[in-house]
Amino acid sequence: MEAHDKLMAEVTIEQARNLLRCLESGDLGSAREAIDGLTQLREANLFLEVGKLTRQLHEALANFQLDSKIAGLAAQEIPDAKDRLNYVIETTENAANKTMDSVEACIPLSEGIEAQAEALSKDWKRLYRRELKPGEFRELASRVETFLKQVSGDSKQLNKQLHDVLVAQDYQDLTGQVIRRVITLVQDVEDNLVALIKMFGGSEEYQKAQTQKTKTKGVEGPVIDKNREDVLTNQDDVDDLLSSLGF
Amino acid sequence: MKILIVDDFSTMRRIVKNLLRDLGFTNTAEADDGQTALPMLQSGDFDFLVTDWNMPGMQGIDLLKAVRADPNLKDLPVLMVTAEAKREQIVEAAQAGVNGYIVKPFTAGTLKEKIDKIFERIEGN
Repeated sequence: MEAHDKLMAEVTIEQARNLLRCLESGDLGSAREAIDGLTQLREANLFLEVGKLTRQLHEALANFQLDSKIAGLAAQEIPDAKDRLNYVIETTENAANKTMDSVEACIPLSEGIEAQAEALSKDWKRLYRRELKPGEFRELASRVETFLKQVSGDSKQLNKQLHDVLVAQDYQDLTGQVIRRVITLVQDVEDNLVALIKMFGGSEEYQKAQTQKTKTKGVEGPVIDKNREDVLTNQDDVDDLLSSLGF
Repeated sequence: MKILIVDDFSTMRRIVKNLLRDLGFTNTAEADDGQTALPMLQSGDFDFLVTDWNMPGMQGIDLLKAVRADPNLKDLPVLMVTAEAKREQIVEAAQAGVNGYIVKPFTAGTLKEKIDKIFERIEGN
């Protein structure tokens, strides 16, 4: 295209010089012919521009297909993705609560077993040291018997709770599938946005934005990008920073 | 020892509550953001505040600043437990007068260590 423009410029200059020469030498007939030549040249350029516009119109019509795809994304798939992500929040919350229900049911059981075992083992040691009176021995024997029954029952309950904890982890599979679908959608939206940007001639800005480092102000929750220099990645780094501040 | 736990996620409040109970702190109350927490602190007799940063309504950093600005609460020990880990945020919390800063995800050991450290320092003063 550039070579064409250059050639056109050269031709125009040559024709203009020719017109000047004709006028200076007083040859009005040739001068009129030179003016006609210049006009023709301008018309030729005009046709070229019309041709370009026609091609652009054709491309825009072809891209209309892309627009209808974006409408589908906005009207259907993005609202659907919001529902899916809400489902992830609900499911993970339910799983966390179910797990904590079980843990909270287990804690008093294991604490009870610990306390009773410690009390019994104290008296058991006294038995070995022959410090127990006959009456106390009978009492200890009956406490041991009760304890064994109790441990057996509590262990069954602990087992049941542990299995509930195990089953509650099924959220990982369910939410994993849902999140994977949303990732596919995000990729689709990205592709369509990039196509739109290119259609409106913003490729240069897009490339510039790709290399820009993002820096978010204020709260942003957990940061996933491990290469961010403004973010500390673990508790030790936080402690170091705080101690450098006099903590 | 009465402790207020502030986090917008009920599961996180439950985790912190359970860990605190294991450390022997059984007297706890909960709030889901700074706006709910501040009046509770002003009218209750809390000895310790554990707060998240990122919450709808009033954020943890603003709660911390409000606590320090209140003559009756200004000496209340505040432990921040948050996923916010930008250098400038930790500096901001330190300047606002936070007593400890834990980044999520965290362990029971870290929580114990930070709480012990805060009380050591208070008793040392």
